[in-house]
Amino acid sequence: MRGSVGLGQKIGCEGGVLMDLGSDNLKTPLHGWHTSHGATMAPFRGWEMPLWYPSGAVAEHLAVIEGCGMFDTSHMSVISLIGPGSFDLLQSCFTRDLDSWRQRNSGPPRSGRAAFGAFLNDLGHVIDDAVVFFLALDTYLVVVNAGKGEEVCSHLAACKGSHVFELDDLTGKIGKIDLQGPNSARVLAKVLHEPERALLPMSYFSFKGHFDEDSPLADVFLKNGAAVLVSRTGYTGEFGFELFVRSAMLGDTWELILAAGKEFGLIPCGLAARDSLRAGAVLPLSGQDIGSWPFINHPWPHALPFNEDGTGFTKDFLGDVVLGKRNSAEHTQAFAGYDPRKVSVHDPAVVLGPDGTDLGIVLTCVADMAIGRVGNRIYSVVSPDKPDGFKAKGLSCGFVRVRHRLPLGQVVELKDKRRKIRVEIVEDIRPDRTALRPMSLMIERRGVGSDERDS
Amino acid sequence: MKEIHELHFPDTVRYAHDHEWARQENDIIVVGISDYAQDQLGDITFVELPQEGDFFEKGEEFGTLESVKAVSEVFMPVAGEIVAINGELGESPGLVNEDPYGAGWLIKVRPTNATDLENLMSANEYEDMLRGLE
Repeated sequence: MRGSVGLGQKIGCEGGVLMDLGSDNLKTPLHGWHTSHGATMAPFRGWEMPLWYPSGAVAEHLAVIEGCGMFDTSHMSVISLIGPGSFDLLQSCFTRDLDSWRQRNSGPPRSGRAAFGAFLNDLGHVIDDAVVFFLALDTYLVVVNAGKGEEVCSHLAACKGSHVFELDDLTGKIGKIDLQGPNSARVLAKVLHEPERALLPMSYFSFKGHFDEDSPLADVFLKNGAAVLVSRTGYTGEFGFELFVRSAMLGDTWELILAAGKEFGLIPCGLAARDSLRAGAVLPLSGQDIGSWPFINHPWPHALPFNEDGTGFTKDFLGDVVLGKRNSAEHTQAFAGYDPRKVSVHDPAVVLGPDGTDLGIVLTCVADMAIGRVGNRIYSVVSPDKPDGFKAKGLSCGFVRVRHRLPLGQVVELKDKRRKIRVEIVEDIRPDRTALRPMSLMIERRGVGSDERDS
Repeated sequence: MKEIHELHFPDTVRYAHDHEWARQENDIIVVGISDYAQDQLGDITFVELPQEGDFFEKGEEFGTLESVKAVSEVFMPVAGEIVAINGELGESPGLVNEDPYGAGWLIKVRPTNATDLENLMSANEYEDMLRGLE
């Protein structure tokens, strides 16, 4: 990349940032906008994407927690799955039990449901995580990570059996914008036709509309005429939306939303803020926190079809052998540090017990700059009960994979080639997140306190 | 990220290849990182500096700058004893981004070799070096 040389070539890098940009990276339709607005670009899984804009990654991270931010996520892979065998295919190879959707479906649903889960191989290792959108009878969208569309399509095709369906990798044809943060609905309401009809009610992990204006499902439109699929999802832990439009409408839609969001503090945000926001929200990065090891003993049990008492699964599926590996598989656990110092997971970094015992490895280590410790508690900049004068100095956080489950509250050391840092094994990291707050509160009122949060 | 011509390289300081700057103030040398370096690193979130009284050789690592995505070492542009560190950076590490040649200074050094400073680059030489990196 231009000026890519770090401090004397001695820079440590996370996630391949600050590397030379190859000329063969893919570009989203917003690439020119990003570069002309001063974004620092970096290669990410075959795409050249904004790492941060001139406002800086810390301001972007804070904007999503305190106001709102928008991300170009058009690098993600979108797969269309259509046909009478689609449901059975997903039931046989997706880690979520979608049976409740089928019972509801006596006709095209007025509003769709989405679910976060994963596709596993026969060993129970992760091929990729995914959000599956139930559009209509026998009609699904599968959204997977950048560069993963082809692999997931091949996997689904290999799982075909007697199921009848058609797969279409729509990557590159669909533009996607993530509008995230407590002010997101107020911004979106300004750019939607009939915003209340579109947004009320819309519960967490549900969606409306379609990005193809010719689809009978296309009943949500932006003021620029674009048909849009509006989904109350995201990957920051904060209240917000994922918006899918045709690629040709992406640039205009980006500008429309940005202008509407000015009064709400909306700023464009890059991959660095996305990474630190998701880590603080205890969300995994595929290929880093979940990957070629058994998808079990982790902080995401909701991504598996556990029965009510957690003793088994409610369905059979490819990879369900993970259930039998619970006693032998390693454990993935979240941690939070005591200041923003990080270790480099690429060194690699190891987890050390109190007596220096090697306990496992570090999967993710980033800094959430919206949080800090006072005594034994972690507060966020938006915590309603934060102490007077609280200033978030940031905490390192992320995930470790250890051979034996560590008790919550245990302090361990993370060690890379450069340093050791002390961190605490925790269940949750950034408190007072907004993702679950009721839509009605988020449209009508400003400055919503956490006492109004969904439990 | 800024273009080279958008960055600021005052001719009142001298520059090292590793992107630190050094400025003489009486018999002390003030050290920080260049506008180019802070722009490359992005937001600085934590600064680790040495103790007053520590001695370092020229080119030796004296601390680290932590940004949101990277950790980078900083190196002595001159040899000498640390006589002061910028305590403001503990509360406000972002000063390195906001004012790299002023409030974002890192350390003050009592140099052991008067020629170290002269051997560093002028603003023009440093800018030429950066253009060579493009």
